[in-house]
Amino acid sequence: MSNEKIVEIRKLSKTIGKKQIIKDLNLDLHKGEITGFLGPNGAGKTTTIRMMVGLMKPSQGDILIGGKSIRTDFEESIEKVGVIVENPEMYKFMSGYKNLLHFARMHKGVTKARIDEVIQQVGMQNRIKEKVGSYSLGMRQRLGLAQALLNNPEFLILDEPTNGLDPAGIREFRMYLRKVARENDVAIFVSSHLLSEIELLCDRIAIIQNGELIDIKNVNEHQQSRYYIEAKPADQAKQVLEEIGFTVHPHENGYLIDTEAEHIPGAIKLLTAAGVDLYAVQPHRTTLEDQFLEMTGGGEIAQAHTK
Amino acid sequence: MLKLIQNEWMKLWSKKATWIMAVLLIVILLANAGITKWIESTSPAPESDWQEMATMDMMMYQDQLENSDLGPAQQEYYEGQAAIAEYRLANDAAPFKIESLQQQVLDGHMMLSLVTLFTVIIGAGIVAAEFSQGTIKMLLTRPVKRWKILTSKYITTMLFGLVFAILTFVSIALFSWIFFGTGDGTFLVWNGSEVVEGSYWAEALKLSALSLASTWMIGTFAFMLGTVFRSSSLAIGVSIFLMFVGVQLVFLLQDFEIVKYYLFTHTDLTQFYTGFMPISDITMTMSLIVLAVYFLIFMLISYWTFSKRDVTA
Repeated sequence: MSNEKIVEIRKLSKTIGKKQIIKDLNLDLHKGEITGFLGPNGAGKTTTIRMMVGLMKPSQGDILIGGKSIRTDFEESIEKVGVIVENPEMYKFMSGYKNLLHFARMHKGVTKARIDEVIQQVGMQNRIKEKVGSYSLGMRQRLGLAQALLNNPEFLILDEPTNGLDPAGIREFRMYLRKVARENDVAIFVSSHLLSEIELLCDRIAIIQNGELIDIKNVNEHQQSRYYIEAKPADQAKQVLEEIGFTVHPHENGYLIDTEAEHIPGAIKLLTAAGVDLYAVQPHRTTLEDQFLEMTGGGEIAQAHTK
Repeated sequence: MLKLIQNEWMKLWSKKATWIMAVLLIVILLANAGITKWIESTSPAPESDWQEMATMDMMMYQDQLENSDLGPAQQEYYEGQAAIAEYRLANDAAPFKIESLQQQVLDGHMMLSLVTLFTVIIGAGIVAAEFSQGTIKMLLTRPVKRWKILTSKYITTMLFGLVFAILTFVSIALFSWIFFGTGDGTFLVWNGSEVVEGSYWAEALKLSALSLASTWMIGTFAFMLGTVFRSSSLAIGVSIFLMFVGVQLVFLLQDFEIVKYYLFTHTDLTQFYTGFMPISDITMTMSLIVLAVYFLIFMLISYWTFSKRDVTA
């Protein structure tokens, strides 16, 4: 990972009518890094992505890709970007090959040899001459990936890329993206509402709510070690644990304590000595889902802001 | 830009509908020639004397010339026609029969309204279809500015109209040659001072080129509607409706000054050479200026909406 900045989002805002959809968004993306983009429905994920690829114009602020502004140097900035927006819609009445040829002609320096290479990469050589109308969703998704890779992008943007793929397809897709990021040093920006998917795929996660970026975190960041203890009678257990000096949080049928592994055997001894019956003692790892729900307040649909 | 046009052309001809239109055009022209032949063979016109016809024509033209409210273009037309009829009688130079390759080619420009119809369908759909298919997202996320994409689409529409016009012309020549063969006669033109023999091919080409002005304007109008409303059915419907009703409105408006600035007063440029002018005091220059202004307005609206629009669907 070279950690070289490829995309800089600067004070990005979008107002539609009187409603501010995106507020002062700042975000950097680096080469070789996969960044997930999470947020509840209506938080502004799709709007942000559409501004990044030139489908919508920012009301304020700018997006620099490879140092070129998308507002003033559209062609130069978008030259190195590969895009998959939701389900890639292709020209159904043409063959897969003609679709690729069509998009290749819109980029500089994409040769016939490069088209064949991409077809090989996504493993579509057997059916590329057939009409897209006859493809399954998985095939279309692969063709969508192929068109996004045609121009050897330095930056890939994917909006809900795994919509409608089966688990095997999702896995294959994930492996492929990881490979591209590592081998070609490509920055990847993925929006999705499949949290587990994002957790498996991404190095870094940006969370958006009500049009504001509320957090950016690395996926494998060291987590506070926590343990879950279930014991009866519960009150007595709580009392014992508090006497030891742990902070106790009620959780499901028992308690969560923040502590390191070495303190656990001692705690168990004290609990049994106090006559408490232990039902469960286990390490507790918060999933991304828990964190996400915690941060976005239950993931309910973002309220309309009419301040 | 050439590559973009190549793309549009490839998409256009990858659709079955485009091929159906081409086949339909040829079938209609074939049927037209066939029916003319059939009528001729079942109820042959009485061996009418062309001299008699020419005498009648001459009288009619001279009658028209007495009429005071003729425009300059009409004046010239009737003078020319009268002179030609007179010349025919004096020099025993027969005109072409209707059932001949030459006369069919000369009248060929009247068939170009079919081309307008097909151009409207293509022009209305070429932008709108990208939105309805969802492919607009794939198209606009390329390193190509929007105005270039729109230009390639516009040029493709006009190219389509031109190809269909050529197809019409060639079909008419071919079918009338098969059904009627070349007839005897001379083609005469009035050059302003005397009657001379002219080339009927050149005349046919001139009239066809002038007819294409209406294909161009109505095609551009449909293109604009398709771009602004992103619905090809709406654009096709409104354009075809106007194509028929727009011309009728000229007659309704003929007493008002505004009719001189009305698009459909000017779309038929052949009117300066065929004598049929609903509004007689307009000139070719004026028509060309009015058409150019409408064209610019249509283009401005198309480009402005297409490049400003946020794509959300």
